[in-house]
Amino acid sequence: MAYGLLGDRVEAEDAVQEAALLAFRNFSSFEPGTNFKAWFFRILTNWCFGRYRQRKRRPDTVEFDEVPAAYLFRQTRDAGLHRPGADPAADVIGKLEGEKIHAAIQRLPEEFRPVAVLYFLEDLSYEEIAATLSVPVGTVRSRLHRGRRLLQKELWTLALEAGIVAGPAGGTS
Amino acid sequence: MSDLTRMSCEETFRRLDDYLDRELSAEEMGMVREHLETCAVCATEFDFEQSVLDLVKEKLRRLDVSPDLARRIARALDQVEQEG
Repeated sequence: MAYGLLGDRVEAEDAVQEAALLAFRNFSSFEPGTNFKAWFFRILTNWCFGRYRQRKRRPDTVEFDEVPAAYLFRQTRDAGLHRPGADPAADVIGKLEGEKIHAAIQRLPEEFRPVAVLYFLEDLSYEEIAATLSVPVGTVRSRLHRGRRLLQKELWTLALEAGIVAGPAGGTS
Repeated sequence: MSDLTRMSCEETFRRLDDYLDRELSAEEMGMVREHLETCAVCATEFDFEQSVLDLVKEKLRRLDVSPDLARRIARALDQVEQEG
């Protein structure tokens, strides 16, 4: 998760260590019977946000235009990848490198990134994400749905750039 | 289920994300599932979206974490405990 938020392995490992120390020192503030994972992730997330704000340089983020639902489905269908017996999702995503997908999540606008990181990397439920980020479940839902569409657009662009799929004549979409 | 409670393709599609994340009520999950059992077009789209989510999660989880990290944290915690 820390790597997802910070995009740097060394910084991410430092963040996990610092969060573990903070959690240890402040363990008395943890309420037994509540979700320990969400409590610890809140500490880690806050530490990462603080670190992130201190940075002078921030990663370039993708343009925030609304992306239509099922973007990747339509792109793969229009590219002729939906042949009988084919697995178009695996034909595209399966060939992308994990590091590239990770970088695509890093480029999501700040509004969507933490939700996407907790969802994709930690497999948390909407409720757990809401508890970790101290936002309403409805906010998690809308940010995740929109972030997911933005990510699909990024993944399609990556697939075009990597030559996994052929772009339309005259340039990429 | 009667026709009155049957979901249209549009109503089903609106619930795509929540269905894949199992964030719908049991009743709505059942209604979407029933639609998918009888609508090949929507089922293809839902299967595709599910595969995308599974593949992305799988790819991201394969990223390695330094084997030294757990040792570093344990050492740091020991130190804090000794100081405290």
